[in-house]
Amino acid sequence: MRRLVGFFSVVLSFALSQAAGAGPPNPVEIIKNFSDFQQIDVVRLLNGDILSERGSLMDFPNGISAQTCFAVPLSAEEAAKRLQLWDPSPHAELKVYAFHPLHMPCELADFQPLDFNNGQKPVRWLVAKMVASTPEKSELNLTRDEAREFAGCLPKRADLPKVSGCWAGLLLSRASAFQQRGLAGVLPYEVAGESVSPAEQLRTMLREQLAVSHEFLPILKKIGLAGNAAEPSLTPFYYWSLFDADYHGTMSLGAVYLLAVGDHFQLVDLEYYVSGNYYTSATLYEVWPVQAGGKSGALVWRGDFFAAPMLRFTKGTERIAYGVLMLQDIKKEIRCIEDEAKTGR
Amino acid sequence: MKAAFATVMVLFFLCAAVLASNPMSISEELDAQYSYVGDAKTRGAGLNAGSIDEHSADIKYVISPQVNKDLLLRFGFEWQRFSFDVPDHAAVPRVLQQASGVLGFDYQIADQWLMRAEVEPGIYSDFRDISWRDFDAPLILGAVYLADADLQWFFGLRLDVRCEYPVLPVAGARWKFADEWTLNFMLPNPRLEYKVNDRLTFYLGGGVEAGTFAVGEDFGSVHGQPKLDGAIVDYLELRLGAGCSWKITPSVTIEAEAGDMPYREFEFFDPNVEFRSHNAPYGQIACHARF
Repeated sequence: MRRLVGFFSVVLSFALSQAAGAGPPNPVEIIKNFSDFQQIDVVRLLNGDILSERGSLMDFPNGISAQTCFAVPLSAEEAAKRLQLWDPSPHAELKVYAFHPLHMPCELADFQPLDFNNGQKPVRWLVAKMVASTPEKSELNLTRDEAREFAGCLPKRADLPKVSGCWAGLLLSRASAFQQRGLAGVLPYEVAGESVSPAEQLRTMLREQLAVSHEFLPILKKIGLAGNAAEPSLTPFYYWSLFDADYHGTMSLGAVYLLAVGDHFQLVDLEYYVSGNYYTSATLYEVWPVQAGGKSGALVWRGDFFAAPMLRFTKGTERIAYGVLMLQDIKKEIRCIEDEAKTGR
Repeated sequence: MKAAFATVMVLFFLCAAVLASNPMSISEELDAQYSYVGDAKTRGAGLNAGSIDEHSADIKYVISPQVNKDLLLRFGFEWQRFSFDVPDHAAVPRVLQQASGVLGFDYQIADQWLMRAEVEPGIYSDFRDISWRDFDAPLILGAVYLADADLQWFFGLRLDVRCEYPVLPVAGARWKFADEWTLNFMLPNPRLEYKVNDRLTFYLGGGVEAGTFAVGEDFGSVHGQPKLDGAIVDYLELRLGAGCSWKITPSVTIEAEAGDMPYREFEFFDPNVEFRSHNAPYGQIACHARF
């Protein structure tokens, strides 16, 4: 028995000495372990390269995903903070007409900048869909009660300020429910007689990417996307935005969570409400400090998960093309993030 | 020959049934089309061949299993038939028909480039006396450059050793220049499209119907031109018209169009005998399904 204890002591001390000598885990190896990237040249990333991969086909028919990896010349902490608060609206190429933070608790005044009178055709499209909405039929992502309330709010000859006011009320209700109860407070949309839960769609997509979900378990547990926690224990940055999605004006409510995990950071940007065109999206970031080729910066892995109704009917080569175009949009956004990091804006 | 063809078709359907049992990694395409072209005065070989009207039909089915993230295989079949109401004396085939398999693949070759290679081995003839002489296997190579969501460039190459022009390069583009407007400048159906709503689209456009076929061993002798016995005929038909497409479900679209057929040509390039038709009205219906 004493000999066995001695043997285990030797093994244990060897293992501990190995662990102590290993130093902090190498971010490149970690990314290789959970992502689709097997070749990562940090020097090239620090020089502006962006690695990108379409996600593999999902069992979830409405889902699509993509992965990217890039670097910015900032400390990991600074990069993570910037990603959390990043405002895409100054970049015209991203076609984001408005992006505004929400207070906690949010109030109607947070939506006062909402202006449908900006002359943009996609926004006129959105207003037309809003005005045409009835409790029985709507092209927007609403519950039947929301559609009824919204239709009741609009007078017969609705003017734009009135439409904005009614819509702001609807967004306020959704944002308040999310701030109070997290994903448990997100009402499912009623689409063509079916109930569509953005929260459940996000969970389904993440379940299909086990390695990614496992890597992000610390933050996913805290925001209710994994594990049994019903309510989030992290306070995110809340926002609303108005943008062009394939020539269609679209509004979304989102929250960006940030969590420090040892020497690196995890972020989740989730759109818990989208007015139409698609159902929901989540963007995951993991940010590490790196040094290579005499430069230091932050290495960022990004995963995008996106659920949309038309993806169910987009198959074969069209689906591949859709993934390629999605990646192009993501890379366009990343270049804007990189430019801001370089110029210190 | 018929037995071999039947065997291939049986194998194809078995293959399709096995592949279709895995619904998530499989996509299917079905395109069906019927058209009628009215009487068109036709001349050739120094003779008036009279007025010829035409019925044509085309059915193409392709099943695509996704092998990996970047590669889709394509298996299927295509049947196309042109029937011409030809006066007895005219040396114009009554029927030109294609019955072929479809074998190919789609592949993402670079970040913004997708390619397709597709060969359609089968019988291309007037189906009078089928032999290996009627066998052909045209190859289509295509590539698309996805500039962005609104603009894509297409490049293609058709290789058919029996055709007068064995290599035929084509290029085109799809440009969505407004929410409602798309210039779909791609052969064989270049179109300017106006989207009325998510379901209904109107279009102005053209069409190219073409193929290379072998006629029967006695075709020339029967029509008083023995030099056309067993000849190869290149068929070309151009159409200009307007139509609408209606998405009856997200997966199924039906189309109806009508217009003018300004030019049609039967070209027996060896021994250089041509028949040409000009201007006749046409109507067409089509159905496209993607599952």
